[in-house]
Amino acid sequence: MIHVQNRELVVPGQLIAEGDYQVYEGAFREGKQVYASVVGLADVRGQNIRIIPLQGRYIPKRGDVVIGVVVDSHHSGWILDINSPYIGNLFVSDLLRRKVDLVREDISQYLGMDDVVVAGIKEVNERMRVQLEAGEPGMGRVEGGKLVEISPMKVPRVIGRKGSMLNTLQNVGECRINVGQNGRIMVWGKNPRMTNAVIEALFMIEREAHTSGLTDRVHLMLEKIKSGGK
Amino acid sequence: MEKPEKLIVDGKRLDGRAPDELRPLKIEVGILERANGSAYVELGANKVLAAVYGPREMHPRHHQQPDTAVLRCRYNMAPFSVEERKRPGPDRRSVEISKVTREALEQVVFLKLYPRSVIDVFIEVLQADAGTRTAGITAAAVALADAGVPMRDIVSSIAVGKVDGTIVLDLTNDEDQWGTTDMPIAMVPRKKLITLLQMDGHFTGEEFKQALDLAFKGCEQIYDAQRQALREKYAIKRGNKK
Amino acid sequence: MNMYGIVSSVKRDYIADLARQGKRVDTRMLDQFREVSVESGPIKSAQGSARVKIGKTQVLAGVKLEHAEPFSDRPDNGVLIVNAELLPLASPTFEPGRPDENAIELARVVDRGIRESEAIDLEKLVIKSGEDVWAVFIDIYALDHDGNLIDASALAAIAALLNVKLPEDEAWTLPEFPLQKKPVAVTVAKINGKLMVDPRLDEESVMDARITMTTIEDGSICAMQKGGIGYFSREELEQAYELARAKAAELRAKLG
Repeated sequence: MIHVQNRELVVPGQLIAEGDYQVYEGAFREGKQVYASVVGLADVRGQNIRIIPLQGRYIPKRGDVVIGVVVDSHHSGWILDINSPYIGNLFVSDLLRRKVDLVREDISQYLGMDDVVVAGIKEVNERMRVQLEAGEPGMGRVEGGKLVEISPMKVPRVIGRKGSMLNTLQNVGECRINVGQNGRIMVWGKNPRMTNAVIEALFMIEREAHTSGLTDRVHLMLEKIKSGGK
Repeated sequence: MEKPEKLIVDGKRLDGRAPDELRPLKIEVGILERANGSAYVELGANKVLAAVYGPREMHPRHHQQPDTAVLRCRYNMAPFSVEERKRPGPDRRSVEISKVTREALEQVVFLKLYPRSVIDVFIEVLQADAGTRTAGITAAAVALADAGVPMRDIVSSIAVGKVDGTIVLDLTNDEDQWGTTDMPIAMVPRKKLITLLQMDGHFTGEEFKQALDLAFKGCEQIYDAQRQALREKYAIKRGNKK
Repeated sequence: MNMYGIVSSVKRDYIADLARQGKRVDTRMLDQFREVSVESGPIKSAQGSARVKIGKTQVLAGVKLEHAEPFSDRPDNGVLIVNAELLPLASPTFEPGRPDENAIELARVVDRGIRESEAIDLEKLVIKSGEDVWAVFIDIYALDHDGNLIDASALAAIAALLNVKLPEDEAWTLPEFPLQKKPVAVTVAKINGKLMVDPRLDEESVMDARITMTTIEDGSICAMQKGGIGYFSREELEQAYELARAKAAELRAKLG
């Protein structure tokens, strides 16, 4: 038996359902009862219950793509801030995808402090030690572009249903966008005015993430700025 | 002020409340920009702010716990929050309150989800009129929810006591000072489990039971207000805004 | 951080499992204290002193009486100050330095028991209103920590107050030290859903929570303090009160 509407706003401790449900993030079970553990939107699909959180920090998950900033280095790699309670470790071999002779090669030529890096989460162990990899195409050190940081919980809204929001941003905004699951977003564009408009749009999405009709509004806003300037 | 002859006249307290009545309560959510979560509580003349930072990396490192997050709480009073200026910084009272506050909240937080990290709760009393520790816990619980920290429930807290031989809810400073007994309490409302209990003064066994009854009633009202405040903050706004 | 030390998980499970069966590691009943002894006046340099042993836990309390200025908001009251030290010699987990939150909590719980029961008639300790009063300093020294420091400390404090020798000072005019009540603290620990009095150190290290209730002669409560991250239900609190009241009478009898 379900006690909430789908997409209903729930708060910690609120009873969501009673019965044999599969419980995912944002919810927990006590006997037959399923409760919310976070403020969020109830997402009930068949026998599966989860709560889409509206707040919270990014917790690394294997397979995620994140955008990190180099904060330290050691003889075999770098430490990256990934906008999370946990730092990311990137070994030079996971950046270059080859064995590196650390005696002969000076790895500081590949990455330096404050460099921005697009990386994948290769492994997270139970102690939350995070290993990154950045050798795949589209990963590695970021050249140019602008870095934007929003709440990681709003990232799904930036992507939109089947990527609709992201398509709007890129096509209408005339730029290339790389979205990290950790709330960091890279924006590259040729036209500075449109790049700024896209950044403006990203903050608007963050602010108004739980309103409806957002994609249309973003579309309208970008079109307006585009036509206004020509 | 001088001790009044009576603190309860014709069933009404000095501020006009009935014995089982809360002071006006206001809860605001997410009022601090930098904190991961925050809340502001006004209960009568009490003004209390709570901020949550984290989960974040634990410093110093040797305080990290390999299999769980650590909850840290700091209760502090502003020097200007009380009649006579309070010397800044922790005193024995605030150290003790910080400890029991942590113990009141820790039970409901899913700390195991965040190994090696720390969740910091900062409570600042800006204006005090008795019941600041319970208002602080009430605010902290909301701030934790606002930070997106997973919890089993929202801890609610209030004080009850004895004034002129009557069991009353939510004592003012005058009632605390001139009354007989003060009993701050915090609970996990959904299951009615008590996570903070302190008391000083005088209760018979029977009065203690009455006081518990009243505390449960009070916490229920606080709990409703906490959930209401969170819902208001996060309510889905339909249609075009701005 | 944790004053109760580390108990191996094997022992933890063992204690918790015993508790479920209503048993304890040292074969005591759930409502049974370890052996309690009160030694009066071991320290001659103090006005009053007492050493309390509860099982292997040992606490020394010393009382000093000194002239002091009254607090500005209480010009016609003597001053009561309780301090507790968790000495490094008492446990491998105690460290030298300023009192930590455990020492502060201990002192404040003992303080509240004495203050709130009005055990000492502080109004009688005024020498000159607003200027000169007697200050009663109670210093609690934990010597050996094998659990239940709160009850041992509270008992030692009252025993030391009962032991006070009148100061040889012309300002002292009272025929006796104005002690009018004997508040006694009893701590009830909760392990695996079972309540028990006087937790030993290994029991403290696995307990979910504790509640200390300080009662006076007529069974009424003058102070309470819950500790630990666990919780109590209403029924458990009422049960704890019955235990505390009964056990306080037993402990009070040890005061002679």
